[in-house]
Amino acid sequence: MLFNSVEYLIFLPIIFVLYWIVAKFNNLKVQNGLILVASYIFYGLWDWRFLFLILASTLVDYIMGMAIHSKQEQQKSSRFFLWCSIVFNVSLLGFFKYYNFFVDSFIDTVGLFGYSIKSTWTLNIILPVGISFYTFQTMSYSLDIYFKRIKPTRSFLDFATFVAFFPQLVAGPIERASNLLGQITQKRTFKYEQAVQGLKLILWGLFKKMVIADGIAPMVDDIFAHYGSFSASTLALGVTLFSFQVYGDFSGYSDIAIGTAKLFGIELMSNFKFPSLSRNVAEYWQRWHVSLSTWFRHYIYVPLGGSRVSKLKSVRNICIVFLVSGFWHGANWTFIFWGGFHALAYIPVFLMGRNTIYKNSVVAQNTMLPSLKEFGQVFSTFAIVTFSRIFFRSESLGDSFAFIRRLFTEFQWEPYHHPMGYRLMDYFVLLALFVVYEFSIRKDERSPFKFKSPVVRFCAYTLVIFSILLFYDSGMDRSFIYFQF
Amino acid sequence: MIAVWTVHSFIFSFNMIKLFLKSTAYLVMIFLVLEVLVRIFHLYPEDSPRYIDELGVEKRVPHYRGYSVTGNRRQNFSEYHINEQGFNSYREFTPSYSKKELALIGDSFIQGFHQNYYNSIGKKIENRTEGLEVYEYAYDGWDLADQLHLIQAYADDFAKIDRIVVYMKYPMDLERTEYEANTSRIATLNSTIFKVRNNIKLVYYASEIGFLDPVKNLFLQKQDVQEISNNENTTQSAEKDRDSFYIANFEKLLKNYPIDKSKTSLLLDKRFTSPAFIEHCDANGIDIIDFGPWLAQSKGPVTLVYDKHWNNHGRNLVAQSIVDHFGL
Repeated sequence: MLFNSVEYLIFLPIIFVLYWIVAKFNNLKVQNGLILVASYIFYGLWDWRFLFLILASTLVDYIMGMAIHSKQEQQKSSRFFLWCSIVFNVSLLGFFKYYNFFVDSFIDTVGLFGYSIKSTWTLNIILPVGISFYTFQTMSYSLDIYFKRIKPTRSFLDFATFVAFFPQLVAGPIERASNLLGQITQKRTFKYEQAVQGLKLILWGLFKKMVIADGIAPMVDDIFAHYGSFSASTLALGVTLFSFQVYGDFSGYSDIAIGTAKLFGIELMSNFKFPSLSRNVAEYWQRWHVSLSTWFRHYIYVPLGGSRVSKLKSVRNICIVFLVSGFWHGANWTFIFWGGFHALAYIPVFLMGRNTIYKNSVVAQNTMLPSLKEFGQVFSTFAIVTFSRIFFRSESLGDSFAFIRRLFTEFQWEPYHHPMGYRLMDYFVLLALFVVYEFSIRKDERSPFKFKSPVVRFCAYTLVIFSILLFYDSGMDRSFIYFQF
Repeated sequence: MIAVWTVHSFIFSFNMIKLFLKSTAYLVMIFLVLEVLVRIFHLYPEDSPRYIDELGVEKRVPHYRGYSVTGNRRQNFSEYHINEQGFNSYREFTPSYSKKELALIGDSFIQGFHQNYYNSIGKKIENRTEGLEVYEYAYDGWDLADQLHLIQAYADDFAKIDRIVVYMKYPMDLERTEYEANTSRIATLNSTIFKVRNNIKLVYYASEIGFLDPVKNLFLQKQDVQEISNNENTTQSAEKDRDSFYIANFEKLLKNYPIDKSKTSLLLDKRFTSPAFIEHCDANGIDIIDFGPWLAQSKGPVTLVYDKHWNNHGRNLVAQSIVDHFGL
């Protein structure tokens, strides 16, 4: 079930009403049970068979969590159970997401030495939606217990609800148990302000998905599919639009997820904090897909020594984190290159000691407009990140490099026409307004309609819904980009 | 008040009720403002009413003017004018033996709601000729049965017209052998639900751009496309059978609704027409105007990008093909 579907429009209010009716009778178990059933229905509508995978992952980590905790005095046993959890989750990922990639890569490598193997080992495997997200979430639970950050929950129902909580099940934010599980085990009361905030976030998320992302998707698809026949100007347009598309798509999803969770009295972590306004690549990673970056920092970067070790080792750690992050995104060399590219862009910032200087501020922190320097920083960061997306979007490494070659050789200017005949100017105006608006709300990513005047607020809601009507495309595949990861 | 209190006591808190009431109020107000916006920017199409006349011909109610709107953000915006005879045209149809006239019969391609009525194919033909009047008898969804029935129903008028050009698409227009007025379509379009849709412009616009399709799909059974895909994989012998079927239908139609072969021509694109059908027409002395080569030779696009109908350039070429064919 997609967030931007009619089914969800019917599903959400029903669950919302039932949830708060149950809450009236102070029965947390029934409330969590309802969320769990709703989450399984939500997920099962994609493919009910994969419910067994979630259930298996839940069961294994529930048991391992208890086992790790009970053997905490015995380091070896505790570590053994932790490894059981990690191996199980990584195996799930490895089989469903990476098996064919490893087989193909092995065959290609053998081919380099002159041997040819007929590819009969690859399997027709369907990637279960959200597997990368919920396996990371359950692993974090075991890891946090191992590192004594949390205690395991005794209630299987609570834990299963934590793993399958439908707003963030299929594409995050990847929550840590210390945040989400804590809320699930506590009584929730209905708060009017929280629910209103949730509805606003859902509306803003729908706008980002249905107007920004889906609006420009046909152009991006067209340019990347026929990049060999376009000049540099069109290719630059294509990859820039893709930058907006992927941001609108994923941050839109996250806003809807966070907004939906708020309706149920649960606060999820922010996943996007206006990454396009970052002043260097390090700041970008503090603002883009925050839950994943945080996961890697907590569970890979810091355990490897982080930046408390020698510079050389720190650089190694950065490389590892970015390459793993790239690989997490998909079983394709393009994602590994994308991760490697970001590592290369991050390392100079790190070596200059500028990786944390913008941690607690935002562009134009105390002014209305950015300074010229800030403008240059934001522009260059956006350009670097956008360039890296060539790897992210291309079908293969060959395509990526061919795209880049054309970008730097085919310099002639050519007008580009929308594949469906729409006026391009509409989209440019839309994106310009979107950037300006995002800039204006840059200090609080969780309050997209923070207007004091109710009239202005009403106008903003109306305008957003009107723009959805103006840019809605019935022919679009409306699923979210990050579902494939 | 009692109801609210009851709901509050047993089910929801006051805050919940407040949320429901405020959300509902917001939704109603937003709906009203959107309705106004859709009307101000004229995003909605205006469909003129239809009816079946006393001779059984399905057409538009005369004397309607309006705008046909396609796609989001008025991708195509054109004016139509329904004349006294119930067809979209810049002129009235007044056939007489003393004038030179050409009747152009067809479906939506000829009806031309996707173009301004004063820039239609008929008008383009008139602009290229002298003293010729072109009557566009066209209605969206018409097939050959509809068209031949029209000629028979208005036999007196067509007797006075010098040339008749019937636009057809093979094989889609040859699915049936006898005309039957589509009363159910008229009934559906005149039903209350459609009237409500047409009057609430926001709903009409949303429906036209496919915004309501997911809702419709939830309730309506999806069309079985299996048959279509099977048809595409036909073997040579099956194609021969298919041609025989459609040619037989064509013959039955001509038997049911005889035409004056000396002044009637078929307007079609040979590229998408079975050679067997073309041979059959040639053998039976049926004149064919093939506009295919005109479109094929065009350097620019000949159809609208978001729509399969001919664009202005395409309409020019089709008009020219007719003028050239008759040496007008």
